[in-house]
Amino acid sequence: MEPMDIVGKSKEDASLPKATMTKIIKEMLPPDVRVARDAQDLLIECCVEFINLISSESNEVCNRVEKRTIAPEHVLKALEVLGFGEYIEEVYAAYEQHKIETMQDSLKGGKWSNGAEMTEEEAVAEQQRMFAEARARMNGGAVAPKQPDAEPSLES
Amino acid sequence: MRQAGAYSGILCGGISGRTGPHLLPLARIKKIMKKSGDDVKMISGEAPIVFSKACELFIEELTQRSWLVTMQGKRRTLNKEDVTSAVLATDIFDFLVNLVSET
Repeated sequence: MEPMDIVGKSKEDASLPKATMTKIIKEMLPPDVRVARDAQDLLIECCVEFINLISSESNEVCNRVEKRTIAPEHVLKALEVLGFGEYIEEVYAAYEQHKIETMQDSLKGGKWSNGAEMTEEEAVAEQQRMFAEARARMNGGAVAPKQPDAEPSLES
Repeated sequence: MRQAGAYSGILCGGISGRTGPHLLPLARIKKIMKKSGDDVKMISGEAPIVFSKACELFIEELTQRSWLVTMQGKRRTLNKEDVTSAVLATDIFDFLVNLVSET
């Protein structure tokens, strides 16, 4: 069933901001290269379609492990299943980085009144630890640790 | 970091080292996620962050591949047909075939 085929569900409603997308696109190219406007538009549409694709698959993954909320692990699994496994390491690193930055913010705001530098060093050490943990997890293939059931058509 | 492969010599200092703030608006991503199907589950606050990075990587890859086509045509303007060619030439972009063909 293709959600896109359902009448009345306009997929034009939510798109990605053109300026941000243009920036990402231009950063990939030499400075003197121009990008035709219709090419830019098409790239943006492709990205939205990519989100749709990964979302659907993440939803499936989430269902299979019988959870109610789509979590980052489900998204990572979806990426792998759909052939975007190459992205996983960088995506996961960005996610971990975000967690550290969030942790730093809450630390700075709270009890560490004089420890700004110490916090950063500790955060870096923590980051290394988390990366090591993450690698161990990923290498153990532990994205979906419990095999829930005997569904024959789990994934190809 | 991701290896750029055959065309790494062309783009210098492109994507490396830029993992910092996520560029794409999380609320917008979440909105698109919710529209992607009828029975989409609840989305954790962290999922859009993962998406944001994945989208970046996706656009970067698609742009790079399109640019390769542009260069093969000895042009300096990346046009829509280049994007189409890149999609058709890449297996994992099969889901885009209809999208690029309908225009």
